[in-house]
Amino acid sequence: MFVQMKNFSVVATYAQMFQEGLVVTILLSLFTVLIGFVLALILAVMRMSSFQPFLWLAHVFPGVFGFFERDGSGMKRDSGFVYHLGRFNPLSFLATAYVEILRSTPILVQIFIIYYGVFTVIKLPNFNMFGFIRFSRFFPGVVALGMNSGAYLCEIIRAGIQSIDGGQSEAARSLGLRQTQNLRYIIFPQALKNILPAIANEFVVIIKESAITWTIGVQDIMSAVNAVKGATSIIMEPLLVATALYFCLCFPTSKIIAYFERRMSRGDKR
Amino acid sequence: MATRDSLIQVTDLKKHYNRGAIKALDGVTVDINRGDVMVVIGPSGSGKSTFLRSLNLLEDPTSGSIVFDGVDITKRKYKDPQGKVVKVNIDEHRQKMGMVFQHFNLFPHMTILDNMTLAPVKVKGADKAAAEEKALALLDRVGLKDRAAAYPIQLSGGQKQRVAIVRALAMEPEVMLFDEPTSALDPEMVGEVLDVMKGLAQEGMTMVVVTHEMGFAREVGNRVLFMADGLLLEEGSPKEIFEMPQHPRLKDFLSKVL
Repeated sequence: MFVQMKNFSVVATYAQMFQEGLVVTILLSLFTVLIGFVLALILAVMRMSSFQPFLWLAHVFPGVFGFFERDGSGMKRDSGFVYHLGRFNPLSFLATAYVEILRSTPILVQIFIIYYGVFTVIKLPNFNMFGFIRFSRFFPGVVALGMNSGAYLCEIIRAGIQSIDGGQSEAARSLGLRQTQNLRYIIFPQALKNILPAIANEFVVIIKESAITWTIGVQDIMSAVNAVKGATSIIMEPLLVATALYFCLCFPTSKIIAYFERRMSRGDKR
Repeated sequence: MATRDSLIQVTDLKKHYNRGAIKALDGVTVDINRGDVMVVIGPSGSGKSTFLRSLNLLEDPTSGSIVFDGVDITKRKYKDPQGKVVKVNIDEHRQKMGMVFQHFNLFPHMTILDNMTLAPVKVKGADKAAAEEKALALLDRVGLKDRAAAYPIQLSGGQKQRVAIVRALAMEPEVMLFDEPTSALDPEMVGEVLDVMKGLAQEGMTMVVVTHEMGFAREVGNRVLFMADGLLLEEGSPKEIFEMPQHPRLKDFLSKVL
């Protein structure tokens, strides 16, 4: 047998490590979600903003820069290089670049760059949170995870907003609502409902992916497994304990969000 | 020049795509007077929907002007009667132009009552209770007062369109724009929507209606516009358009639809 009951009693002597690991994993996930969500909102707003400096110049100085908006015969441009240059949005470009780079590189590489690169230049204070969480390891882990999930959440938010039929905005604007009111009262409430399953999935992914931070010495659940393995050569039993702990975190998370999903879909039922 | 009763003056309105390769509108000039029930007919792709959607700038025209209540809403600034330069705020003008869409575009996450009170409360700053009272009165008028608490998905197509009409009316617009309001409806529901529109016309509401319902154009309209290829080819009273059509395109069109 690979799994022996007596080995569990050995693992039990490491109970406190698992307990602390569980707390670290929960805190990692919470802060990651927080950072990721705020970052994602900022990125999504940047991507969908209408910040177009060249077109703005055309409106403020029509005599000099009007050519960005209208061609020689006074017709509004609708295609071509000058048209696209006029609509160039540096904020959107930056956000898109960020999202694409973060989504196209392994999270392990990102964590190492943050930990060995960024946070060797920026010195972090050496203290313990709650007596057992080493801030100088925990903080880079949270930053790396948050930056990564921010990119994914941004895509989810953008897709959710773009999934709303254009007629909704047209109806709202034709009633006189400003664009911000349209977003707040019409688009976001509907988009949120559409993206909840994807957000729930992303939250669960964050909990699971946080395990990777043991590679930079964050003492989460996985690092407790490693500690048992290193000290006793028992591997399957601590892994099963870790499996159970992760499941107990992830499963309720998705169930709770599923509950909110049902509550928000009232308008769908006949 | 605009007459005293003129509400919207459209001048040489153009909407091009791909540097003029596609001309959805190619120079439309028309005056819409208060109390007009202007029906726009024409084959599909003729630009009639683009024309209607340009009136409240849901389509951004390539060139031309739309003067509504004395303000050219296609410009970014205008001079008020005192000669002061004021920014054109399209949201303000849209409040005065109700719009009804082919696909209703009710807000699915809100009850019928909330659909109707949202804009009056959030845009005009109306009192919530007063807005609800008014919304219920409007719903009563189209026979849907008992559905106020329902969600749009619980209504039939005809009911949705009637709600969409009174939702626009709740903003007390000066003109109502109808973009093929019965085209997405099952045939048996067309009548109930047209009846509501007819009632509106009889009350003197200024209306611009893009439709394929020739019976409505004939019976309710006081002016009929025939458009094809982005051009306004013929304009006249229903009698002139349907009984004495001049333009060969119009004759051809009528022979197909009547």
